[in-house]
Amino acid sequence: MNAIVCATGVELLMDYVEGVLSADVRAALDEHVAGCAKCTAFVASYLETPRILREATAVSLPADVEASLKAFLRARTSAFNAD
Amino acid sequence: MSVPTPEPSDKALAARAAAGDDSAFEALVERYQRRVYRLACRLTSDTDAPDVLQETFLQVYRHLRSFRGESQFGTWLYRIASNAALMHRRAQTRRPTASLEGFLPRFDARGLHAATPAELQIAARADELLDRRFLAEKAREAVAQLPDLYRHAFVMRDLEEMSTADVAQVLGVDPATVRQRVHRARLMLRGCLSDLVGVKP
Repeated sequence: MNAIVCATGVELLMDYVEGVLSADVRAALDEHVAGCAKCTAFVASYLETPRILREATAVSLPADVEASLKAFLRARTSAFNAD
Repeated sequence: MSVPTPEPSDKALAARAAAGDDSAFEALVERYQRRVYRLACRLTSDTDAPDVLQETFLQVYRHLRSFRGESQFGTWLYRIASNAALMHRRAQTRRPTASLEGFLPRFDARGLHAATPAELQIAARADELLDRRFLAEKAREAVAQLPDLYRHAFVMRDLEEMSTADVAQVLGVDPATVRQRVHRARLMLRGCLSDLVGVKP
């Protein structure tokens, strides 16, 4: 394959992380990133993005939403009759 | 010493619920309501999530008999929730959403990153650099602005931390398609985080 540059390397990142790249492409990407400060920096932010979004969008089920769900299902099904 | 009773499996509860045991249905709701609510918030919004949650479990109740146990119960339930979220969004008046395409990485004519290493790395520190509440609000807006196909793949794979194979099953596409959609979403959201801290992605 042609030598990897930043633009082609970026397109391989997901497959790299998921372990589905062939060994030779993986090695070529490793080699490019190791010698490229820009790609090293880019990969760091690419890898952190899911965690930052996951933490920023975490929610817990509010008690009133849970109560509304029970009331809704009770009205429309035969379940939740016990309480 | 008492031996704890093992929790019944999803499959066992679903079979009992399908046969008319409402306490088994209640147990399934109890087991999954938090996850479905969180998923619904991420796929739609805090405002729409309660409706999506209700619609999901109503559909589950109505279609329990068609759940044959060939797939995991969770996968089947997530498919129902995912469809409920899509239907809900379609029913809303769609606000014009800003495109996230402008947040994709930029390259020069030789295919090298246009930004400097410091600029390229900054998104990794968005949570240190930004106010927590501000980030939470902007993160929700950004996820909501993703195209539906990307959002569903990204939310399940990266935010709900499901395996790519499970997401593929829920969405009815092959794993390579999931990877491609999640990748595009990561690139856009990474650029968005960078933009939020005031650095051109």
